[in-house]
Amino acid sequence: MKPILETVDLRKTYKVGKIEVEALRGVSIKIGAGELAAIMGPSGCGKSTLMHLLGAMAQATSGKALIEGQDIASMNDSERTEVRRRKIGFVFQKFNLLPALTAGANIAVARTIHSGHKVYGDDPHLTELLELLMIQDKMDRKPSELSGGEQQRVAIARAVVNRPAIVLADEPTGSLDSRNSEIVLNMFRELNRKFKQTIILVTHNPELAAYTDRLIEMRDGVVKSDNGDHISWDISGEMATAGL
Amino acid sequence: MKREIIVASLKARPVRTIVSVLAVTLEVMLILVVVGLTTGIRDETGRRMEGVGADIMFQPPNSSMFLALNNANMPVAIGDKIAEIEGVRAVSPVQTLVNSQGGSLEILYGIDPETFDAVTGGFLWHRGKMFSAPEEVVVDDWYARAKTVDVGDEVELLARKFKVSGIVEHGKGARLFVSIKTAQEMTGSINRTSLFFVRLEDSANTAAMIKRLDETFPTYPARDMRELASLMTSSSIPMLDAFINTVVFVAVCIGVLVIFLSMYTTITERTREIGILRSLGASKAFIVGMIFQESVFVCVIGAAIGVVGSFMVARLVQAMFPTLVVLITGGWVARAVVFAVASGILGSIYPSIKAAAQDPVEALAYE
Ligand SMILES: Nc1ncnc2c1ncn2[C@@H]1O[C@H](COP(=O)(O)OP(=O)(O)OP(=O)(O)O)[C@@H](O)[C@H]1O
Ligand SMILES: [Mg+2]
Repeated sequence: MKPILETVDLRKTYKVGKIEVEALRGVSIKIGAGELAAIMGPSGCGKSTLMHLLGAMAQATSGKALIEGQDIASMNDSERTEVRRRKIGFVFQKFNLLPALTAGANIAVARTIHSGHKVYGDDPHLTELLELLMIQDKMDRKPSELSGGEQQRVAIARAVVNRPAIVLADEPTGSLDSRNSEIVLNMFRELNRKFKQTIILVTHNPELAAYTDRLIEMRDGVVKSDNGDHISWDISGEMATAGL
Repeated sequence: MKREIIVASLKARPVRTIVSVLAVTLEVMLILVVVGLTTGIRDETGRRMEGVGADIMFQPPNSSMFLALNNANMPVAIGDKIAEIEGVRAVSPVQTLVNSQGGSLEILYGIDPETFDAVTGGFLWHRGKMFSAPEEVVVDDWYARAKTVDVGDEVELLARKFKVSGIVEHGKGARLFVSIKTAQEMTGSINRTSLFFVRLEDSANTAAMIKRLDETFPTYPARDMRELASLMTSSSIPMLDAFINTVVFVAVCIGVLVIFLSMYTTITERTREIGILRSLGASKAFIVGMIFQESVFVCVIGAAIGVVGSFMVARLVQAMFPTLVVLITGGWVARAVVFAVASGILGSIYPSIKAAAQDPVEALAYE
């Protein structure tokens, strides 16, 4: 399998006044293109921190994080912004839709930022996506007029619409009841199957493991177990020149 | 798309939007109405000067072209010498008085009706007749309308009661006319006058005549009335300019401060939204641009309302105070709009930079 994302001894230390908090203490993982991976672990073990680094939202303290061969770990803000724009889709626990805009406009904002020019209206991929997520008739509603489950499905559509290399979802079901959680998780699985979308999910919920083939468990800023250890990777091209 | 975000956010916070727009409206109206009033009054004064119909205004040494600022005078007999010069058709002495009663500054002309008519070509009478007693006054139609006085009514000028003897068409220098004898007596300057209006046989000779008067009466300023009028209407008057600049400065400060406060509070409120946009890959420039566009949008709307409002105020002022003129020129409308937009840009520099500098992770975690 070809890795689409790879970290090498990735570390992140937060400074709070004089105290240093080592949130990540050397994380090395590989995620293959088209994988649906789950990251689990107790609170405070560094899952969100890892997601922020993988999503080019923050700078690592040391180590490497390669997306399609490009090291994003030490990039500056504008380079990371560019990576987010082109390669990443986020789904958050708290949905994070723009409250003043309709569902449709929220998705349009993501398309516009991604393409650099105004995109509104139909696109076969988007139509298919909205049908899959069963929100095609909700596009004119504001987030406040949608249920939590619906809001999260709009957020998923927003994350996926630009066909990012990776979708990162940090506790996407954390604000949902069990029925809606199940719907949302099923949709992630569908998206992964249908569009070969690479997805990394963070969860506290052990049941989620049932939805994914790949399960990475973290503890205290390191990977404790990874059921993808046995995967044989084709290391070639950019990954190889990056010295791996 | 940015526009949709901007419009949505303006709609989502209607009170903030309305207050910001109103502040810019106020800024623009303050500029246009105050500038319009000062330049309007100056302009109208200039036109009234021109309306006198004289070619030359002859004044005693050290006098200003602003009649309200003068108290120097000269013997009436000088007028006879001027009248003897070839090419002079008529000379009329005018003793000016300034009435500051009732809050406004009005110039009274003490005139000699016969020579005044010879210089000006005579009043156009609406009602009544020329004063025939020391306690009588002739007023112009604007004054009559503004003070709602009619022939036979009493008015108080310089702590003295006058009876209105007649109402004339406006435009002959002053709005109020009394006999020169009365004016001289009131200023305690018998047989003296503050200026002469000189009418020539041929206006084309004005420059030559001024030269001649300058030679004959070296320290006495002789001014070309038409030049004087155009000076009043077009050129800058240092004191007035300073006043206008102050008003513009204060108005722009109001605009900048309100826009600053409005944008500053809104970016704090919208920290999370900014984090969301950044997570989607929006650049810092995108965020800065969005804040700038939002405040400029507010300013343009405020300016548009302000311009319309200023014209409405101008009309209202004219209806309520017929002696006041609000002159709103295209140049000042353009300037006021530029000032409004500039205050939007100035006011949002810091907030936009602050918004863009926020760490995306922290912004998303903001409650
Ligand atoms: N901005 C920050 N400043 C300082 N310390 C931080 C910051 N963010 C996270 N940490 C610390 O880093 C460690 C990892 O935090 P992180 O949010 O990644 O954990 P998590 O696995 O996502 O936990 P949870 O399951 O509760 O969301 C924690 O000890 C946390 O206190
Ligand atoms: Mg977390």
